[in-house]
Amino acid sequence: MPLLIDSAPDCIVHKEHYSGDDLADFILQDNYKDCAGFGTFMPGSTYGEDGSGAETLYMILTWVGIVVMVVVLVAWVLYENRRLIGAVAGVSAAGTPIEGVFAPTAPQEPPLQSGTAGDDR
Amino acid sequence: MIGSLIAQVGNLKDAASAAGQTQDSLILGEQYYFFTVVLMWLIHAGFMSYETGVARKKNALATAMKNILTIAVVTPTFYYFGWWIYNCNQPGLPIGPNSSDFTALACQGGIPWSDTFGPNLTNNINLVFFLAFLLFSWTTASIMSGAIIERARLTAYLILACALGSVVWILDAAWGWSAGGWLTLRFGFHDSIASGVVHGVAGAFTLGVLFQLGPRIGKYTREGLARQFRPHNLHMTLLGLMLIFTGFYAFYAACLVIASTAFPGWANIYLSPTTLGTIAMIITMGFAGGFTGGYFASRGDPFWTVSGGLAGVISVSAGADVYAPTLGYLIAMASAAIAVYAGDFIERKMRVDDAVGAVAVHGCMGFLGMFWVGVFAAGYPTGVNNVDSSIGGQLIGMATFLPLGFLTGYYMSWVMKKLNILRVPPEVELMGLDNAEYVPNLYLPEVATPGELIVEPDGTMVPSEAVLLAARDEVVV
Repeated sequence: MPLLIDSAPDCIVHKEHYSGDDLADFILQDNYKDCAGFGTFMPGSTYGEDGSGAETLYMILTWVGIVVMVVVLVAWVLYENRRLIGAVAGVSAAGTPIEGVFAPTAPQEPPLQSGTAGDDR
Repeated sequence: MIGSLIAQVGNLKDAASAAGQTQDSLILGEQYYFFTVVLMWLIHAGFMSYETGVARKKNALATAMKNILTIAVVTPTFYYFGWWIYNCNQPGLPIGPNSSDFTALACQGGIPWSDTFGPNLTNNINLVFFLAFLLFSWTTASIMSGAIIERARLTAYLILACALGSVVWILDAAWGWSAGGWLTLRFGFHDSIASGVVHGVAGAFTLGVLFQLGPRIGKYTREGLARQFRPHNLHMTLLGLMLIFTGFYAFYAACLVIASTAFPGWANIYLSPTTLGTIAMIITMGFAGGFTGGYFASRGDPFWTVSGGLAGVISVSAGADVYAPTLGYLIAMASAAIAVYAGDFIERKMRVDDAVGAVAVHGCMGFLGMFWVGVFAAGYPTGVNNVDSSIGGQLIGMATFLPLGFLTGYYMSWVMKKLNILRVPPEVELMGLDNAEYVPNLYLPEVATPGELIVEPDGTMVPSEAVLLAARDEVVV
């Protein structure tokens, strides 16, 4: 018996020991022989009930996931906005943002590259 | 009597054999789609490498992170909404004939709390098929991501990626990339390997976003002439494209339906027969023609030569299930040349700053690919109503996809622009996104002293500092 949460669906039976008859091509399938949807918190549909929707904890779990996803997206926008404001404030306090970021470089005029701007194609 | 019993036993054996075959077929299909998913990850490794190489050093890390985080947001949104959109909205608006319930059973598999859309011992296919479509979703988002680098906010991109990857493209896929979609049922719309369904729509969406986002600071002179920001690592970009190409074979393969118990074993997305060899041949001929067309049209420019390969493949994807190899080769060559000129037109005439040429390569070629089917592959029965492919059907599909992609991208970006969450502040853009959003010195020490050059419209290279400072007040934010 699980210590905290029994999330296994009811279609799964719990046999004490396996017998040789349970084993099919290395799969211990007897505990699951009536089970189709076998995931945690799923309703435990059985063979022949293909496509039934969950009405129990599984649906609640799904909606928890949807809510968390939306909250994360909103929080992400707010968090990035705060970081960008902080970055702008930081460079404003330190003077022009360009200083210290761009290193001085001597002008160069290498040969024109084919396909770049200025090409006469 | 005995004869009857023997016959019954024979029937039972046949039935058992058929059941076994079906079971084997499902397990084979499960494995097949699983491995296409694994290989399609290369597309995203490629997009990351491609875009990071194109970016200036000061934005390299931000560009790479943007690509990786695509997976973090498009995956859950596609799980919670995208698969439902595909499976439950194929009839489209409930008007006219053929708003069928063809997809009623499949619709169950698209609802996130359905027991067939989770661990299920009686359904091997739904989850791996979902994953293949999910990888297509990442691709659509990645198509947009390269175009908007170096000035879009990370979260603006992520929200747009959710809209494009989990709503827009999958809605057009429901309508025109399934045997039961209304475009297919009523008009014989045919886009077998998703020229328009994935690439065209993503390109149109991207164009809408770019109109609102505006160019990078310093991209254009006061006279409207285009400057060039040099890729900080062209080799990384070319390697990225090669990775994308490799992943595209898996993309192509995942667009087929595997049916190993019936001859010829494969069907296109509309359930019409084809073979794996056919599409593999066309993608390869598409690369060959695309590289060639891109090379000559750009006069040997490496970026456009390799991008030409991508353009060529996209242009032949819609008819890749039926095209003759030579036809694929010629179409790809001509299309890649068109892509080069389209990219030039978009940059210099339209003054749209598309950093990677995504609108030209994916958008223009996606729509051109749909058009080519109407010209060169009309008369193929498509969809469960067996309506022939035709130029009319293709034009209707194009007329549906263009506003769906463009207007969604345009107005979503418009709203985000009004909320001031679309673009980074000019100060951040000038200092580099890596400096503001990450700890670049920890990962990329060279970012602190980029010393970058910029290519003026006349081809001369000058230090970018003075140019960007002067252009800072010109940018429309």
